Amino acid sequence: MYSYDEFDERFVRERVAQFRDQVARRLDGSLTEEEFRPLRLMNGLYLQLHAYMLRIAIPYGSMNGRQMRMLGTIAEKWDRGYGHFTTRQNIQFNWPKLKDIPDILDALADVGMHAIQTSGNCIRNTTSDPFSGVATDEIEDPRATCELIRQWSSLHPEFTFLGRKFKIAVTGASSDRAAIRVHDIGIEIVKNEAGETGYRILVGGGLGRTPMIGKELRAFLPREELLPYLEACLRVYNMHGRRDNKYKARIKILVHELGIDTYREHVEAEYARIDRSNTAADMAEFARIAEQFAPPAYPELPEQSAIFERALKAHPDFAHWVEQNGFAHRVPGFMAVTVSLKPVGGAPGDATSEQLRVLAEAAEQYSMDELRITHEQNVVLPNVKKDELFALWTLLKSQGLDAPNKGLVTDIIACPGLDYCALATARSIPVAQEISKRFSDPARMADIGPLAIKISGCINACGHHHVGHIGILGLDKAGVESYQITLGGDPANDASLGERTGPGFSYDQVPGVIETLVETYLGLREPRETFLQTYRRVGMAPFKEALYADAA
Amino acid sequence: MARAFRPVVLTANDLVEGDVVWWTGAVWSRDVSDAEVFDTPEAAEAAEAALNTPEHAACTVGIVRVEVEMRDGAPFPTLRREQIRAERRPTFDYLPTSKVSEAA
Repeated sequence: MYSYDEFDERFVRERVAQFRDQVARRLDGSLTEEEFRPLRLMNGLYLQLHAYMLRIAIPYGSMNGRQMRMLGTIAEKWDRGYGHFTTRQNIQFNWPKLKDIPDILDALADVGMHAIQTSGNCIRNTTSDPFSGVATDEIEDPRATCELIRQWSSLHPEFTFLGRKFKIAVTGASSDRAAIRVHDIGIEIVKNEAGETGYRILVGGGLGRTPMIGKELRAFLPREELLPYLEACLRVYNMHGRRDNKYKARIKILVHELGIDTYREHVEAEYARIDRSNTAADMAEFARIAEQFAPPAYPELPEQSAIFERALKAHPDFAHWVEQNGFAHRVPGFMAVTVSLKPVGGAPGDATSEQLRVLAEAAEQYSMDELRITHEQNVVLPNVKKDELFALWTLLKSQGLDAPNKGLVTDIIACPGLDYCALATARSIPVAQEISKRFSDPARMADIGPLAIKISGCINACGHHHVGHIGILGLDKAGVESYQITLGGDPANDASLGERTGPGFSYDQVPGVIETLVETYLGLREPRETFLQTYRRVGMAPFKEALYADAA
Repeated sequence: MARAFRPVVLTANDLVEGDVVWWTGAVWSRDVSDAEVFDTPEAAEAAEAALNTPEHAACTVGIVRVEVEMRDGAPFPTLRREQIRAERRPTFDYLPTSKVSEAA
């Protein structure tokens, strides 16, 4: 885990003091809302439908028990007893009061956290693989690179007022669990033929109203060149990206309009021109950062654990949870597990203050004090001894954190939607809840197998619906909620964007529509074929037929 | 052709609490049924102009019009979004059990 140095600490404290003064001046009338709004947004404070919303950064989704416990305290003391984990690996509180925000930010600073760069047209929280450092298919822990980008991008004077927000994701593994292909810039840690570690750079991916898959900009970039090269990429975007229309202002539009080859020419020309030594990170500094992500001191354990094996046999519920939510660890005797925040009928990504505290305790007691937030709105405990998995499960179960559904039909991503969000055009969470209830039978869930349903309550696509195996997009049709369905999206290595089935459906129809799609898949699938594989084999026609035949 | 004017009320969020508030003609209320209804564009404009003061800007954020219809003699927003705002809470049971009684 990265821990703040003196500079980080002072920087965050000064920022809180500055915002405290800004809030005081807004409250006493010295600042108008017009003046105050950009200031509050730069500190993660939005005004939503019912209340303010504070979005807190969790850099690359990585945190420790003390930090998680503080989130629980904030939920309890200043909010309504819960928080909501987001698809950017952050957390949002839905009900804070303006006068309390400076105190909340001070409390966050006490544990090395803040809300900077969680809003605005800047480089946002860099996201990463929730299994960083423990996955067996990893070349290198990507968090050191993420942290380097965080330090470089924080309040970057040139890139604080870009044409639009800018999102970067980094993976160090061969399996892409960070959705790098649908980011403004996606970075994959790779090795070249000489065995040197560097970066493959993708650009121009994104979701929103114009979804696109990122294109390769550089197959291999030496490590020491990362920051100057990113600077060139961002500068070309900042200079040439559109500012006349905010819906066409993301880098994906620029890359699409210029073509990847022309964009690359611009970047390389800029890169040749700039003084790289001015920006390039000192490799000694990179090593210092990387040292902070060095693996914890794992004890030597046998791969098999008798305690674990006995518990698996004695407790079928536990065995089911391990099978579904467990993840192979590179160190013998250890496992990583996903704590699902998708109990049947729950609000996806929500956790109560009690649950946040239990997650903190679970991390400290059973996971070498580490937690990860996933872009799928779940939590990962990355370092659990197999010997202690049963005790961990028992603790999680006491707070309803034992849903054995990772990657299944009820592990639904949903944005806050019209129940909270000022931009939303339809509700998301209640739609997720109804679908979840309909598929609550564990045997049926297991039979259906891997199926990612992703729901967005507006075209901005915070719920990543374009890359859902089944995507649901809620729209407003003359004041009434209407839902478009897409099929076949996926954010991983073989990324694809979902294709629309046809006309939309009403709010009440959606669970039945999902049922029809699932039944159609079950009727068509070949042995061991997932929903996505079946869809890719048979195409849209049979699903469309099943959905619309009666209407024809 | 421009759409016919429909009755409106004026709404905002409270500056300190963030709560949804409705203009009653005299004060800001948390209850939409207290809101003063403006039946003509001229009346709505006049009310907006009257609220465009430093005093109101110092206690509210974003004063806007919302279309309403009358239900049981009280204004009720026509758009789903504004209906949810008027409820002052999400449409599902969102509170942890420990907080339900507290928020009631």
